[in-house]
Amino acid sequence: MNQIPRPHTAYTTAEIRALTRNLLRGCRCIFTAATLLTVAVESKGAGAAGASGPEDWPYSRPVDAPPPEVKSADRVVNPLDAFVLQKLEATGLTLAPEADRRTLVRRLYFDLIGLPPTPEQVEAFVNNTAQNAYGELVDSLLADPRYGERWAKFWLDLARYADTAGYEGDPDLPHAWRYRDYVIDSLNRDKPYDEFIREQIAGDEFEEIMGAGELPSAKPEQAVALTFLRLAPFTEPRGDETRHEMLSEMTSTVSSVFLGLTVGCAKCHDHKYDKIPMKDFYRMQAFFNTVQIAPPERGDIFQIGGPMPADFYREGEKEWAENKRQELHGIQGQLDTLRADFGKRAGSALPDEKQLPDAKQRADQLDDWISNPANEAITAAERKPFLELKEKLPFVKQHLKRLQPVAMTLRHSFGPPYEPGVPVTRVMLRGEYDKPGDPVEAGFLSCITGNSEPAKIRLDPFKRWPTRSRRMTLAQWIASPENPLTARVMVNRLWAQHFGRGIVPTLSDFGKLSGGPSHPELLDWLAHRFVENNWSLKAMHRLMVSSGTYRQSSVAASDRAARADPDNSLLSRSKRRRIEAEAVRDAVLAVSGRLNPEVFGLPIFPPLPEDIAQRVKYDQSKWATDNGPEGRKRSLYIYQQRTLTMPFMQSFDGLVCEDSVPERRLSVTPLQALEMYTGDLVNEEVKHFAARIIKDAGDDPQRRIERAFAIAFGRAPTTAEITELRDEAASEEKLTGLCRILFNASEFVYVD
Amino acid sequence: MWTDPSIHHPFQSRRDFLHRTWNGIGALGLGGLLADDLRGNDLLAEVPPVPGDPLRERFQMHGRKAKHCIFLFMQGGVSQMDSFEYKPRLRDLHGQRMPDTGVSGELQGRLTFPHECVGSPFEFAQHGQSGRWMSSLFPHLAKKVDDLAFIHGIKTDNQNHGPSTYHVTTGSQFPGHPSVGSWIQYGLGTANQNMPGYMVIQDPRGAPVNGAAVWANGYLPAAYQGTLLRDKGVPILNLSRPHSLTEAEQRREFDKIKRLNELHLATRPGASELEARISAYELAFRMQTAAPAIVDISGEPESIQKLYGLDNDKIAGFGRQCLLARRLVEQGVRYTMVINGVQIGGDSWDHHGKVQDGMIKKSAEVDQPVAALIEDLKQRGLLEETLVVWASEMGRTPFVNGSAGGTPGREHNSYALCMWMAGGNVRGGATAGQTDDYSLRSLGEPIHVRDVHATILDLMGLNDEKLNYLHAGRIRRLTDIGGHVISEIIS
Repeated sequence: MNQIPRPHTAYTTAEIRALTRNLLRGCRCIFTAATLLTVAVESKGAGAAGASGPEDWPYSRPVDAPPPEVKSADRVVNPLDAFVLQKLEATGLTLAPEADRRTLVRRLYFDLIGLPPTPEQVEAFVNNTAQNAYGELVDSLLADPRYGERWAKFWLDLARYADTAGYEGDPDLPHAWRYRDYVIDSLNRDKPYDEFIREQIAGDEFEEIMGAGELPSAKPEQAVALTFLRLAPFTEPRGDETRHEMLSEMTSTVSSVFLGLTVGCAKCHDHKYDKIPMKDFYRMQAFFNTVQIAPPERGDIFQIGGPMPADFYREGEKEWAENKRQELHGIQGQLDTLRADFGKRAGSALPDEKQLPDAKQRADQLDDWISNPANEAITAAERKPFLELKEKLPFVKQHLKRLQPVAMTLRHSFGPPYEPGVPVTRVMLRGEYDKPGDPVEAGFLSCITGNSEPAKIRLDPFKRWPTRSRRMTLAQWIASPENPLTARVMVNRLWAQHFGRGIVPTLSDFGKLSGGPSHPELLDWLAHRFVENNWSLKAMHRLMVSSGTYRQSSVAASDRAARADPDNSLLSRSKRRRIEAEAVRDAVLAVSGRLNPEVFGLPIFPPLPEDIAQRVKYDQSKWATDNGPEGRKRSLYIYQQRTLTMPFMQSFDGLVCEDSVPERRLSVTPLQALEMYTGDLVNEEVKHFAARIIKDAGDDPQRRIERAFAIAFGRAPTTAEITELRDEAASEEKLTGLCRILFNASEFVYVD
Repeated sequence: MWTDPSIHHPFQSRRDFLHRTWNGIGALGLGGLLADDLRGNDLLAEVPPVPGDPLRERFQMHGRKAKHCIFLFMQGGVSQMDSFEYKPRLRDLHGQRMPDTGVSGELQGRLTFPHECVGSPFEFAQHGQSGRWMSSLFPHLAKKVDDLAFIHGIKTDNQNHGPSTYHVTTGSQFPGHPSVGSWIQYGLGTANQNMPGYMVIQDPRGAPVNGAAVWANGYLPAAYQGTLLRDKGVPILNLSRPHSLTEAEQRREFDKIKRLNELHLATRPGASELEARISAYELAFRMQTAAPAIVDISGEPESIQKLYGLDNDKIAGFGRQCLLARRLVEQGVRYTMVINGVQIGGDSWDHHGKVQDGMIKKSAEVDQPVAALIEDLKQRGLLEETLVVWASEMGRTPFVNGSAGGTPGREHNSYALCMWMAGGNVRGGATAGQTDDYSLRSLGEPIHVRDVHATILDLMGLNDEKLNYLHAGRIRRLTDIGGHVISEIIS
């Protein structure tokens, strides 16, 4: 509307009013931020002993207050709504009307499984008049394996998941993918969140040791879970310095992901805003100080450290891996068979043994001859599989390595007499590895416990393993109903995903800079329900998406509502939002009908624009391009190469994580338009989308448009839209243009 | 800050800024402030970018001449004592054990080598009015010394290539942080919206250490990422029309998209992100028509092509990169990163062995093109408004590399990076910082990379303290804890 700057006289009264509104909004935000900063700066250096104030709310246990009484009791679907309505009513507002069913079904699909509903799924829901139709839909989506895929990505961002180590050489982490599958599987089985936490921090310390005998090894699943601690970027190690940085990174990440506290800020000095003294950083770090990583395997030139045994453990996973291995071994065999067959046709076109004694050179010449498109002895159709197999061959070895029954896990050290005992952890002055200060004992954060006592670490009765149970002690403290932060932080993360912003807006920072919760009683109420329901994530999703608050329309109910709640912090409507990068790519493939639904498995390598992989290669490209269906699995399986984010994903704010990412940006840029309009993916998939429309709708232009809208948007086109697009649907040739237009419509990437 | 009367719209204060904006001068609010898109993050910057239009040009925080920056990055660690630092004492001690310098600490690991001094095998002479000593490896650049200001003894936090490359290009030795160009884009936007404002021209032979992460936007919005300029085919990814479409046909499809999106918007009043999306498509269309001409250098006069060394195979690669950088400046591109060197192989400046041969090869690749760039910019009056920065990720040691056989090489030295700048408000002929007689460590108050970054921002009219962003609970800046602007090199 107002994209081109004009002299101020050129604005209408209405526009000026809008501008004023925006400005006031801006002012408010700027001043809020400024006030926040002032408060923050004034309280600089506050220690744990400081008096308790309103900013100390995160350190005390959530209060389980009953839902308030509200005027619009008819809008309360579940108690969550009462808390929201209370705030709205205090401002003279109420919830926006419920969204229509078509909007709701689309919203639920994208939210819970990350994919658009098919036209049939939309109609089934819209026409289901049963009282519990909505609840049934929610349940079926939560039971869908694609739920785990959608929400795994959310967790993998937090876990700074990647398939390479980053930095110089960006070496492959061949076993990281098993952690990705662990997350999908855990979510699909609705593993209680407290157990999910314990496995990722202390998967090797589950077994109780009551007597003599050997040290029990971790269960495969729990061993894989521990990969979490090893996912940080890693470069050429330098002894003590690297270990210090590694343990510090674990401390920071565990604290921000599970506790929502920026403990990492206290590595070099007392936390500037929160009650986290530097000493507490090192007391936390001491829980990790017996961590042992297997030494690098021979040939690991980047010294990223070895894997440890971890069998495939999911039902059918072992067989899947075996089949995959066979398939890979078969590539060489198939190539040799094709070469032998084609070779017979060569005749005198290629030199024989006498003319060219070097077997390698003869083999190369044969390959060149087969690959040459001008060679008429071989048809293009025959040549294609040969070239595809040949392309795969260099990556076979790496794939086979990925299929070994091992994990990128770690363990606690054996301790004396085999390995050193518990090392002394010291405060490191200015956070530097070679500036040791006072020794500290492992202990919990004093802002929460109110003291700086050492934690009680329960060893085995004979104290044979003094290095054991340190991380489990920490994990149990975190994953406890008594911990004031753990449940709140997680429900707030889920809330932010479903409602577009957190009750605490900074999802990994509940400290002073967060500005505090917008609905403190609601946050606490949710935290209690979470724990009460045995830390079930699915139960929490169900509670949230079943609420009246979630089911609102995304259009403000009135001008007054829009004015009084401009940034929707009161939740007076649903938050319209752009779908995330993964969902954009997945939706393109789902709509074209070519999405490969296979769940779990090795990283995938979708085709990249021409030479991108070559451009960022180290010695050779790691990108084992899958031109076939393998490369059309869901985006969460895409190889996460730290030196190369797929341009498609990157333009939609997708990223390969370097550190824990609590939420994605959702920006709007011209590069997205270029990607969606001229990019390779879309221009390949429009052909298949068009073919799908023709197959379903035949020749009639209007029926074609109707079918296309049903598939892409889950609704019928309006008369205006039909008029606008009728010409595009007239010929098969133009139909790809129609498909391209729909892929580029705002409606394709925005969910109301 | 905000006090220089020479800039056209100085905002004396936040209130003044808002007041002026209220009067229709500023661009803020045209797209509607999307509080939810901002999430409070951008608001910490003095002049927040307009949501939905993140690249819209914004004003400098204080008046500086530079509007563009060309960042020349030499991958591998350029040997400072074989290029821009004259160390006669080191040459006297060549082949002898290094005297005890009392240095210990972080360099310990690297100092366990036999400390056999390596004097520079190259002749040094004084040049220009400033009388700067330059090694004989840079005869072309030597003629430009009066335009250059040198900074010696810069410290980076880590002496491995990966972390130190991150440090120099993003301000942090750890990955995940926005690059210098992203910060500048975030602060200033870009003048020409038909081109991305931040372009990267990498070595035609391959990528630097850390790959594309070197020009990433980190935690800043995706709009601030660097865009790779491709040297073959279409210069920017996805610029060419879907095959078989004419421009008119594409325009028609774009109009249909626009119409559908307007209908969509009509039932969603006030959705400014949807408005922004509609205009993003128009920008994309303009970019498609404007950008392809950039890489077509056939129209450049022969004299210019020769100036950059395009007639010489050994020089042509980097020559073309430098010439393209100038053309991008002419197009209003805000920040251009030009990279020489691939990873840390034979094509980089990482001379652990045979530093003499290596430096001869590498300096020959870049000397003429870099001098040509300065000359060419100057002739066109563009050097005034273009800050040119020469950087590498570290310096090298005065003593021989323990692991290298044959002729001597040099180890990494994260205490003695040497950089230079030219153009804009850079005081030509100036020097900041100093290293000891061996160039092992700096003398006096050490200059840290963050000081250099603060200086670059300052020269672009930005204040490193004010250019900040709230991310994951911390107020982030390019300079992290804040840097000192190196005022000696600013005029």
